[in-house]
Amino acid sequence: MLTVENLHAGYGGAKILTGVSLTIAPGEVLVLLGRNGAGKSTTMKALIGLLRPTAGRIRLGTTDIAGTEPHRIARLGLGYVPEERRIFPDLTVAENLEIGRRPPRDGRPAWTPERLFTLFPNLGPLRDRPGNRISGGEQQMLAIGRTLMGNPSLLLLDEPSEGLAPVIVDQMQSAILALKAEGVTVLLAEQNLAFAARVADRAVILETGRIVWEGTMTALAEDHAARARHLQV
Amino acid sequence: MDFFLLQLLTGLASASSLFLVAAGLTVIFGVTRVVNFAHGSLFMLGAYIAWSILSRLPRTPEHFALGVLATALATAAIGALLEIALLRRLYRAPELLQLLATFGVVLVVQDAALWFWGPVDLAISRPPWLRGAIEIAGLRFPFYDAVLIAVGPAVLGLLLLLFHRTRWGLLVRAATQDRDMVAALGVNQRVLYTSVFALGAGLAGLGGALALPQGSANLQMDLAVVTDAFVVVVVGGMGSLGGAFLAALLIGVLQAFGIVLLPKITLVLVFLVMAAVLVLRPHGLLGRPQTAARSEAEALAPIRPAGAALQAAGLASLALAMAAPFVVGPYLLTVLTEAAIAVLFAASLHLMMGPGGMASFGHAAWFGIGAYAAAFATKALGGGLATGLLLAPLAAGTMALVIGWFVVRMSGVYLAMLTLAFAQIAWAVSFQWVEVTGGDNGILGLWPQGWAMDPRAMYWLALALCVGGALLLRRILFAPFGFALRATRDSPLRAAAIGLDAPRLRLAAFAIAGAAAGLSGAVFAYAKGSVFPTYMAIPHSVDALVAVLLGGVQTMAGPIVGAVAFTVLQSWLLTSEFWRFKLGLLIVLLVLAFPGGIAGAAAAAWNRFRRYQP
Repeated sequence: MLTVENLHAGYGGAKILTGVSLTIAPGEVLVLLGRNGAGKSTTMKALIGLLRPTAGRIRLGTTDIAGTEPHRIARLGLGYVPEERRIFPDLTVAENLEIGRRPPRDGRPAWTPERLFTLFPNLGPLRDRPGNRISGGEQQMLAIGRTLMGNPSLLLLDEPSEGLAPVIVDQMQSAILALKAEGVTVLLAEQNLAFAARVADRAVILETGRIVWEGTMTALAEDHAARARHLQV
Repeated sequence: MDFFLLQLLTGLASASSLFLVAAGLTVIFGVTRVVNFAHGSLFMLGAYIAWSILSRLPRTPEHFALGVLATALATAAIGALLEIALLRRLYRAPELLQLLATFGVVLVVQDAALWFWGPVDLAISRPPWLRGAIEIAGLRFPFYDAVLIAVGPAVLGLLLLLFHRTRWGLLVRAATQDRDMVAALGVNQRVLYTSVFALGAGLAGLGGALALPQGSANLQMDLAVVTDAFVVVVVGGMGSLGGAFLAALLIGVLQAFGIVLLPKITLVLVFLVMAAVLVLRPHGLLGRPQTAARSEAEALAPIRPAGAALQAAGLASLALAMAAPFVVGPYLLTVLTEAAIAVLFAASLHLMMGPGGMASFGHAAWFGIGAYAAAFATKALGGGLATGLLLAPLAAGTMALVIGWFVVRMSGVYLAMLTLAFAQIAWAVSFQWVEVTGGDNGILGLWPQGWAMDPRAMYWLALALCVGGALLLRRILFAPFGFALRATRDSPLRAAAIGLDAPRLRLAAFAIAGAAAGLSGAVFAYAKGSVFPTYMAIPHSVDALVAVLLGGVQTMAGPIVGAVAFTVLQSWLLTSEFWRFKLGLLIVLLVLAFPGGIAGAAAAAWNRFRRYQP
């Protein structure tokens, strides 16, 4: 579904990604692991086009989207949920969702606010609350919901469990599994290995801007050496 | 009581017109963060286009309304074209550069209108229904004023509906809060921006068309309207529609009473209101602190000391400049003298804008105060050239210290507007305090006696002071004070955390820049032999801005190159027909070709060249 080859990107003179290559198959949940500063968020930004790659290819299906503008990439089916959530603070929950709305894709049923409120029951009563007047967990749900309103075929989730209470993290987990059951492909960036293990099929580990490990979650669970070398702080 | 009601209604009518222009400006700023100097030009085009349409239509109310609507659509189309052809290319450029580009558009439109509609003021003949009056509380009140009073709130209501009840409005509001996120959700921002710009331009055109029956379409209305509109937008809070409406009411009504009660104060009243509001509420009535809508801010390249090659080039041009009086004729010598003065003037603004990070729209105030100080030193104190040249920077620096105390606490557009307000007040004082300043007639006969009577001596004096001044300003940048100032600009929080007193540093820079500008004003006064209020007027402030931006804000040589280039260009073009058009077009092209200024582009090219050397 998505193939990334030798992706390079950075900010100004600072090179962050120095050759990231990965593949995501339709319907799978792939988790991008790595320590702080490894390049997880930068990879996500480069994929959605907010950061222009300096080299490399990003193929979505058969189209090369590297260097394309973000709105075109989004319309091709990539949905991006940023780490900082970036809720529009002056817009209500319902209005935030409306911003994300785009026509349905591949004959799948379109996401509506009502369907999202069953996926994230917390959001329902908050419809008319401004985006800056809801909790962090609710903002995270809203950020995911807003992106889902665009009916993406591939969801880029940047650290959705970060800074959330355990009970909300559990809700996130069931939401992601529900999305997977619907056939949505997910690329997840995470630092929380336990959370990742519960939702992902496969993992790739980033270190200083390149992929250093790749395999199934089962393989990762058994590879103590890789976890110690690449993930432990 | 009757008087009170009548003035109030008159004030409300003018408030409506003010709101129409200001609404367009604030909508455009809110979304695109472009401070559109050409907004007044769109208003002017609206008036002219309305004249062309309405003078060909039957004079019925229906046709009038139709003509006004057609005008709004036409200016909206012009606005869309402007956005597509020019501004779209500049969204990632520094804010001030967009301002400069739109100023180029102002010049182009002025001459285009002159060419197309001619120099004569154009008014439409008013049919009886337009001249009629209605009775309000037993008072006869012009019918058209009543129409205007209704139009303002109606437009506000429609705009609020548009922004809160339509998907388009929702997208626009989201884009003002986080444009990158809107793009990441699949919204084409280009279409959004173009349509917002078209809406703003249409509102300006509507304002111009509606203003036509009460006055005329003329070539002076653009700058007059855009300053008023800026004031309203800033007083209301940049980007706030409700704020713009409140501010328009406040200013419209105050002006209506001011004209009757204190006729002398009318020129400054608007700016006094703005200064008062900004001092009390630094972000306007309903405004909020500006958030950077650009998420990936580009880091400024640090200013570096000149390399050996640049120093050699500088010395060579200095030698050439010193030898110039032996080769050039008297006319060119005058131009060169003006260029030398412009260099010091621009270099002083550069200290504020570049390292200081404070873009001033009213830098001409200090220039003018220096010039008038020199005039007083000569006329009132009977002092010579030296007294004037000493007193001028002292007076300008002291004034800058006082005014700067208010100014340095602000940032961005608000700071620029407050400096503009003080400059306008200074200009109005010089214009209206006829007993002391001679008003519009200025103060004449300031030619220095003795050795400086020779134009060549005057040139060398100007050159010495300008080179000396510019070198001194450069020295300041590489002193601990300069480093501290630049640190404060780049990261106010971190600078404060290491113990730097930001307001104090900025105030010092402001005062030094003011003093240097005052010195340049004094030299100008002596070189020209006279001082006029125009020295402090907006176009002169813009001259300095253009010079700095044209040269490049982030280079030391920028203001020097820019000032010389701009002065020579201006004096060369001034003699030709439609010089504004050519100059404006040139500014626009230069901005598009060299977003970092001439010196900035040269520096970048030089660095590239150096990198390819083995």
